[in-house]
Amino acid sequence: MLQSIGNPEFAAKTAMSYAELYDGISPVQQRVSLRVSGEGPQAVLELKNVETHAVLRWSLADMRQVPDQARDDTFIFTPDDTDPARLVIREAEALRVLVLAIPELRPLRPANGSLLKVLGMIGAAAAAFGAILFGLVPFMADRGAEMIPPQTEIALGQTYFEQVYPARGAHECSSPAGDAALAAMQARLTRGVALPFPLRTRVVSDPSLNATALPGGHVTLHRGLIEAAESPEEVAAVLAHEIGHVAHRDGMRAVLQGMGSFGIIGLLYGDFLGGSAAAVVTQQLITSSYSRDAEARADAYAHELLANAGVSPGALGVFFERLQDQGLDIELGVFQHLNTHPELLSRIEASAAAAGIGFVEAGPILSDAEWVALQNICGMAAPPAGGVKG
Amino acid sequence: MPALKTEFAGDRGDLFQLAFRTGLLTVITFGLYRFWQTTRFRRWYWSSVRPGGTPMEYTGTGQEKLIGFLFAIILLAIYLALFNALAMLAAIFTSQGASAFLIYGLMLAPLSLIPVIFVARYRARRYIMSRSRWRGIRFAMSPGAWGYAWRACLYGLLVLLSFGLLLPLRTFQLEKYLTDRSWFGTARFTQFGHFGQLYGPVIPFLFCLYGTVAMMVYGVLNSSWTQIGTDQNGMPLFHISGTTWPFLAIYPAGLLILLFAAYYRVASFRIMASMKTLGDGLEFDIHPRTRSLVRIHILGSILTGVASGLAAALILALAFGVMAAVGVTSTDLVENPPVTLIVLTTAMAVMLILVFYNVFRQLFLTFPMVRHVAETLEIHEPELLETIRQRDREDTRDAGGFADALDVGAAF
Repeated sequence: MLQSIGNPEFAAKTAMSYAELYDGISPVQQRVSLRVSGEGPQAVLELKNVETHAVLRWSLADMRQVPDQARDDTFIFTPDDTDPARLVIREAEALRVLVLAIPELRPLRPANGSLLKVLGMIGAAAAAFGAILFGLVPFMADRGAEMIPPQTEIALGQTYFEQVYPARGAHECSSPAGDAALAAMQARLTRGVALPFPLRTRVVSDPSLNATALPGGHVTLHRGLIEAAESPEEVAAVLAHEIGHVAHRDGMRAVLQGMGSFGIIGLLYGDFLGGSAAAVVTQQLITSSYSRDAEARADAYAHELLANAGVSPGALGVFFERLQDQGLDIELGVFQHLNTHPELLSRIEASAAAAGIGFVEAGPILSDAEWVALQNICGMAAPPAGGVKG
Repeated sequence: MPALKTEFAGDRGDLFQLAFRTGLLTVITFGLYRFWQTTRFRRWYWSSVRPGGTPMEYTGTGQEKLIGFLFAIILLAIYLALFNALAMLAAIFTSQGASAFLIYGLMLAPLSLIPVIFVARYRARRYIMSRSRWRGIRFAMSPGAWGYAWRACLYGLLVLLSFGLLLPLRTFQLEKYLTDRSWFGTARFTQFGHFGQLYGPVIPFLFCLYGTVAMMVYGVLNSSWTQIGTDQNGMPLFHISGTTWPFLAIYPAGLLILLFAAYYRVASFRIMASMKTLGDGLEFDIHPRTRSLVRIHILGSILTGVASGLAAALILALAFGVMAAVGVTSTDLVENPPVTLIVLTTAMAVMLILVFYNVFRQLFLTFPMVRHVAETLEIHEPELLETIRQRDREDTRDAGGFADALDVGAAF
């Protein structure tokens, strides 16, 4: 073991061992002897090629160990953080020499960007996503909703209607008297009002507390909503709100917004089809932020419509308030979205304020008989309100 | 000099610990740790593979993967927004009715991503190569992601048009494209051979595929369908009379197709691996046994499924337990549980299930696969290594981030 060193006295003073060296220039294995010389910060590891006797000196203070080895029978060291040269030690004796000489051996840390760069990139990504999702997409949806031919939109809304409700296990409700009552309500609300499409209002047997304005003037009132209402004015208020969505083409806008933001949220979670729960929830939050303004606008439109029809604009707020007191969530809107309570509160206040401005009361919107007919349009007596969740 | 054999030094217990620990960290950090997790997996696997006794080394970092990911999602978001806008315009101006509208609107943007997926794969591979070393010498890959993407799309089209007959051409040409752009130090890899050599292993797959299609056609022609109503989702229900066995045989036939597809992948990999050289004639061999890989594939998938299923059942039980326990302290929580609690518990449970799925997939599928392939690697005439020199470090901007964003990464 000591034969390569001429001076036995010197050899006795220093531990001697062998290892494999790869110089980072060629993949050829070199066998080297190891020797520690010097002390303190000046200490170096001398690596001497046993064949050519060429000597390399690595500063001990700069040496690093390659971390995360699969098995601890091989230890790999580098002269510093960047040098590609590698020293492979397999013998316990050689390892002992090195560990004794470098008590605080640090693991190799490949060059990393600064934390500032990470933060900068996070900022840039946030800005890009913000600009796309809250600038570009709503802008495109607004322009697109204005450009689309009405015939296409009407046909699209019909397609949605035929697909959405059967998939939820609901069907269209119809009875001669109920249809007539609904038509009467619609006629009184829209008297003298110009809409981009002929309005097509239908009741569906869905038990949820919902109403929906699909593209192309297709408005649906869910059975659950009619059952929860205590007066025809409350239903009329909701219908007026949905007519507001039709007037503003919000249904089409929502479809286009979905199209415009396709796949973008999923990128964040590393699944571009957006199938993960996180992606779905995020998508929903963004959709609800889109619709917030649309809801307020539809409310304002509804207040006007109700006042024109001689119904108190406060009916919308009264309905919201009672449902809230009963612990029920209502989801009126283009499509379903998350409704937070503070918003609902401000909407109730807005409705009360609109009622305060004044309107000319023109009698109940439906006669008692008509109201009963509408309540029974789905063929069953209305069960008591409550216990139905949207 | 004798050929250099390869040993695989990894231990399944260590891998379990690594997978479990990094998996939990990934859950706790809401997925952010996944870049570091991937990096640690790679470091571990690389150091397990020891050609000639010297471990491979992976020098990538989690941080550069995170930066690369952010870089990639910015570009991808802009790209997608552009195509979404195009889809919208196409839908508005060219469609005559609702169905055409939906087709334009829903098809254009996903189609636009297909070439990007191949770009992402190439760039991810290039990044991995640039961060791999053996005996201190860097691997590398020349740029060429878009060239790979259009070739992949074109050959894919040829496969479709030829009813699968040109599948070996696609497999071979893409592998050659990748191999011929790969480097170890100053030495380039070369793929020799010819796509005709892959027809042997593809025959069972094509045979089975054609047979199944023929069987279905026969079945449709020799049976009569009468609609007997619709189910609760509005889908039509049919009563089938006459020759019905083809509709039952589809299940075993489908399994056979999957099996032969796996066989083709493994066998073609092996054939092509034996026809690669490095630099000026340095030959190496990877000769995994096709049967072993297919067995690992099937057995591994079953074990992963069973183990993950058990883990999922346990986790769900635990999640319900947590909700019930919280409910015990306050009855109000039971009657009206806060949405955030439900969402949080559900999200945690789902993520944990995913962690366990990944752990088991690593243990039962990736680990035996890598081990088997690695152990069959042999480097002939190692003295030719002397002709190879180091190459400069290369920076790839995205660090595989496109593949991370589009979820087309490899097993780790």
